[in-house]
Amino acid sequence: MTGATIDHMVSVTILIAALLVAMMTYNGLFASAIDYDRNRQVANKAVDIMNTICLSPGSPVDWGETNETLLGFGLQDPDAGGYALSPYSIMRLMTSNSSSGSQIVYYPKTGLYYNNLSANYGHGVLTPLGACVNYTTVAELLGLNGQYGFSMDIDPVLDISISQVPVSPPQNQLILKVDVSGSGLPLSGATVNYNLFHVESGSQYPLMAAYSGVNQTDSSGSAVIEFEDVDESGDAYSFIVYVSIGGVTGTGYYTHNTIGDENQLVIPFIQDYDQGTVIIAHSWDVNGAGSPPVPEVKYNATFFALTSDFQLQEIEIENNTGHLLYGEGNPYFTTQLPVSEVGLMIISYKRDANRMGTVILPWGVGTLGVSAYFDEGFGSSGYDFVATELRQVTVDGVSYQVKVSAWSLSG
Amino acid sequence: MAKNGGLWALMRTVEVLFVIMILLSAFFITTYFAVLPSSSEAFGTNLRELSQSTLETLDSQGILSATVFEDQNSTAWGDLQKALSASLPPNIVYNLNVYNLSTVAGDITYDLEHSISDGNLGVNSDASSLLVTSPDVTFIQDPQKIGARTGENITLYILNCNDANGWWITGYTGQSLAEDVYNLLSPYFITTVLINSTDQLGLLLDDSLGEGDVQNAVVVNTFGEAVPISSDHANDYSGDYAEYCHFLGQRVNTYNWTWVSIVGYPFYYVTNVDYFTSTQNGYGIYGMSAVANTGANAFLRGLNSDPYFGTTSDSITTEVGVVDFTDYVLERCNYYGIYPAPYQTSSRALSQNILSDYNLVANELFVRSSSHLTYIPAATYRHDGGGALTAIGLTRIPDIRVAALALLVYYNPTIYKTVFGASGTSVLVTLQLGQQGGA
Repeated sequence: MTGATIDHMVSVTILIAALLVAMMTYNGLFASAIDYDRNRQVANKAVDIMNTICLSPGSPVDWGETNETLLGFGLQDPDAGGYALSPYSIMRLMTSNSSSGSQIVYYPKTGLYYNNLSANYGHGVLTPLGACVNYTTVAELLGLNGQYGFSMDIDPVLDISISQVPVSPPQNQLILKVDVSGSGLPLSGATVNYNLFHVESGSQYPLMAAYSGVNQTDSSGSAVIEFEDVDESGDAYSFIVYVSIGGVTGTGYYTHNTIGDENQLVIPFIQDYDQGTVIIAHSWDVNGAGSPPVPEVKYNATFFALTSDFQLQEIEIENNTGHLLYGEGNPYFTTQLPVSEVGLMIISYKRDANRMGTVILPWGVGTLGVSAYFDEGFGSSGYDFVATELRQVTVDGVSYQVKVSAWSLSG
Repeated sequence: MAKNGGLWALMRTVEVLFVIMILLSAFFITTYFAVLPSSSEAFGTNLRELSQSTLETLDSQGILSATVFEDQNSTAWGDLQKALSASLPPNIVYNLNVYNLSTVAGDITYDLEHSISDGNLGVNSDASSLLVTSPDVTFIQDPQKIGARTGENITLYILNCNDANGWWITGYTGQSLAEDVYNLLSPYFITTVLINSTDQLGLLLDDSLGEGDVQNAVVVNTFGEAVPISSDHANDYSGDYAEYCHFLGQRVNTYNWTWVSIVGYPFYYVTNVDYFTSTQNGYGIYGMSAVANTGANAFLRGLNSDPYFGTTSDSITTEVGVVDFTDYVLERCNYYGIYPAPYQTSSRALSQNILSDYNLVANELFVRSSSHLTYIPAATYRHDGGGALTAIGLTRIPDIRVAALALLVYYNPTIYKTVFGASGTSVLVTLQLGQQGGA
């Protein structure tokens, strides 16, 4: 009797232990399944966001080129369709508030703050904040409703770096080396369409001489391009290349100024996308006064439209020259770009006969290979699961990759 | 009792052991079958869409299309491989296959022509495809000429008078619309003649122009509610210009023309800027004189060989609002590749009474408005004794494509297309992507 009771107690104890083990195991299984389901929803949301961004132009479809109110978000180029993004819509993203965005710029003479979609060395796109769409608006238009966070990274596919090769012995010659790679691999046999914009002093306003040609990268992915009658250190110039191979295209640039200052003396601001008006400002009015004497800057702006075969074709613009002075009572100048063409506005300027420079405003981000990163300002750090989507797109015919990351805000 | 109690405890122990066995069995069975997909499979990059976007962007400049038709020894294949390697992330491996499409006994077969790969795709991969057409192939649409089916040589006359003004064509001029009509319709006619002055129109009405074939012709009036009039005819009908409209109706009947009024109330004004130098239409447009409601009535009487009756104030149009194309017309939009907005606003719809009054049969474009079932927004009205009037009773700003569509729906020319998918002109490109590493 006692033995049977003990056996029974032992078996009940084992039963309880087995029940506990089973409950713990099933609990783990259920937790994994719930996690899986939640993460799957986030992954699906990333796909949805990417599809909306890349395959919808938004509403109105040409919102990037007009001043109309944005009713639906999308970046697809309405004229091209497919995986082609609108170069103008990307310029309207408020990237300066993003976690890796360039600082917002204030211009006292207009009393406006400008989003800074920066390239390098003063080149880039400065857009009034009022003309940009911020993260909150985009998130609402994408229907995320505070449930999901996302970030968007738009980067050129090809890495193109340009460097000066020292001329020995020094002489009136310029040698530039273009290195092309993609996914870390050097690209041999790529066609390099290059353009050199050489600033000359001119009688009153600076002049710009344009040289263009075609070259090819060697087995190490490099192309060396030489120019005669250009002083590698004493002259100001901008050098822009468009590199293509097998349907992939990239762009790169290199600028050399002789103004003796790491900051540009001229800053272009976009005033109105609908009309294509651009403000040309003295940099001291933006960045504050430098060391006296006050530089008087004479500029000459030229617009080059980017053709479908990646040639730069000059188009005349009005009010293309001006004399910029710093301080109150000295107004800024405006010019107007052709709204139907993407291209580059290259402003050549001079402080005196020996101190000159160039600054580039890409009218369409692809024309200068500008990257754009767009998020709420905090990124995805701290969230357990982040789903990532990747697509290949073109912007102005230049190959880009779009990466969208999405995460759940509900934990 | 004690013996029974020991047996009872033993039985409970056996039961408990059974329960434990069942629990453990359920546990092992559940864990064996309830296997969640691997995280890389569930949450990895959407390889199919990445593949599709890669193919589309490579072909955006036509490079992929050009490459896949190249010889296998061409360096273009190497460039394509470099482009793929450069554009895809390092952890993505690819396999690009090119299949030649051919038709054998009515069945399409896919023959592998070329393949590029940079590694083993592994277990998890996905693919997409793109049908590529050779850049050397031209696909031609050849429209049948109107009248060719019956052996007639139908001439298209477009009124492009440089001495006439238009009305109800806001945003355009008659001349700019004439150019649009020429571009839209001239491929469908053997002969197209631009009538460049009102004098030439006068000659055409008297069959003295000497260009084209006057009989059975189509005459498109691009000046909206105004109709050009030569100085001679203006002198002839200076007492009542509506009689000129009656004369036009007679000519349309005699020559078996199709007269096209592209927008608004037909024959509401006559126009000649040299003749009506100091006369305006009441809205500040000089060079025209109002005929008002009498014009359309007079034209239809002339078309029906009725005598001219004099001035009338009876309007035969009304405003019906927004109307939709019929299903047949929408289908014709696709057929001819002309896509005006599928709904339009009609402010000058003609009364259906004209059908019985003037022996007309209407070839209508729009579904009639339920609130105005007795009014026809736009149609070609065929007279049973010869001649027709195409009247597009829409509001301004005019869409010239509606008038062009009305004519094409009326004459119904066939579009001949070259055979798509001929052997050797199309290949199927598939790009399979696999993800290496990761969770």
